[in-house]
Amino acid sequence: MHPRRATLVAFCDTETGASRSRRIARHLAKCAKCREELGRIERERDQLSARTAEPAADVRQGLAAVLSAIAAWQEGRNGAAASELKARLRWQMETYFGSPAASALEGTGIRAEEMFGKASEMLEVFLGPQAAEAVSDDIFRGVDWAEPAGEICR
Amino acid sequence: MPITRKSSLDGIESAPRWIVVFLGAYLIVHLFALYFWNMAGHAFSIEGTSGSTSALPVTAMAAVNLWLCLLVLRSFPAGAPLRRAWMLITCAAVAQAAAGALAQLLGSDWQLNPLLWGGQARAALVEQIRHGALIAGGPVQLALLAAGMLAALRVLRKFGFWVRPSAADWAVASIVYVFTLCRFGEAGAASLAGRPIGIEDWSSLAGLPFLCVLVLEALLLRQSVVHMGNGLISKCWAAFMCGIFLTGAGEMALWVIPHFSHAWPIEMIGSLITFPAAAAFALAPACLVAAQRRAIKPASDRPEGLATSVPALAP
Repeated sequence: MHPRRATLVAFCDTETGASRSRRIARHLAKCAKCREELGRIERERDQLSARTAEPAADVRQGLAAVLSAIAAWQEGRNGAAASELKARLRWQMETYFGSPAASALEGTGIRAEEMFGKASEMLEVFLGPQAAEAVSDDIFRGVDWAEPAGEICR
Repeated sequence: MPITRKSSLDGIESAPRWIVVFLGAYLIVHLFALYFWNMAGHAFSIEGTSGSTSALPVTAMAAVNLWLCLLVLRSFPAGAPLRRAWMLITCAAVAQAAAGALAQLLGSDWQLNPLLWGGQARAALVEQIRHGALIAGGPVQLALLAAGMLAALRVLRKFGFWVRPSAADWAVASIVYVFTLCRFGEAGAASLAGRPIGIEDWSSLAGLPFLCVLVLEALLLRQSVVHMGNGLISKCWAAFMCGIFLTGAGEMALWVIPHFSHAWPIEMIGSLITFPAAAAFALAPACLVAAQRRAIKPASDRPEGLATSVPALAP
């Protein structure tokens, strides 16, 4: 009776017991078909070992590609939320201070988190902490962030 | 800290509107009185009534100002940058309200003043109270206000709302400085000529250096407000600026007019300036209280929603 393929794989990996290994070895000495099967298993194992040892750099590149794709996707979502946050901040600043103050705060290329930090500081100083907190709450209400807004902006 | 939002509002956010309405009504009534007096060929006196009738609204406005200042002060916790400024501004409001109340209740000659019931001894006390009220409502109030404005300007400077005074600002300030010098010169000449200087004049003279500082601060405030814009917080500081300019204009008008004409009802004209100045000072904390209440008010209660106001946010 021929040993099963799984048994041959275990034999190849020397995972079978001593008596069972002896029995398999006696069978292989008589059976060409099983010797051929064992040879195929050994070739496959060698190929697999060669692949896992050699291209570590490729795996890292692949992982980086996956992470960058995730980041791009998140950035796309956060970018929309950031522009919405900026619009809301500008509106609140115009309401409480005026357009020139809002324009001065917005500047060029300022990040939404930075703008929010400056605006909330100004509101806290000139409006009082409780009212400033309420304004911040209003600004963030309903903004769809990829991750909690508080972790990004506060 | 969780945000607690009031479900019912006390309507205090409409305080600026009410102050402007009262100011408008006051000015209309007084200007009509002045017009009819002029049309009637000065046939009747409006000086007798204007002094007492103008002081009461000014005192009432000072009380409103004090109440609003206390509300604002309470909203700034200890250590907040503007706490010191609002503390000094509130102290100035206390001085103004106390001066008005003392002058109107215990320092007046009306029959319901309990201090006048005791005869001559109490009459001296009434006079002292009147003098105390003049000092509290004059130099003390102006000094406290100048210190408060200085503290506020330092905070404004920290946030970039600071501009050096321009040539036009110095020109405006120099008018007040020249006026101050004229007043001191006149007082010095009167003193040398042996003419007595009343307590009213002394208290007014003592307040003039503070008024000079205040006018310069108001000019800087004006620049800061221009850089800020026309928001609710900006309106608060703009109201202070107006109050200071009106106070300065009142001081100058009350000194200049008698030099040109004695026919003008100086009390009436004084009331036409002092009440708007008091209203402007009350308007400042009222604007800030309105801004704070607006911020704390739930979004659904506002006249217009955020989404409808900002086209980019509209669904």
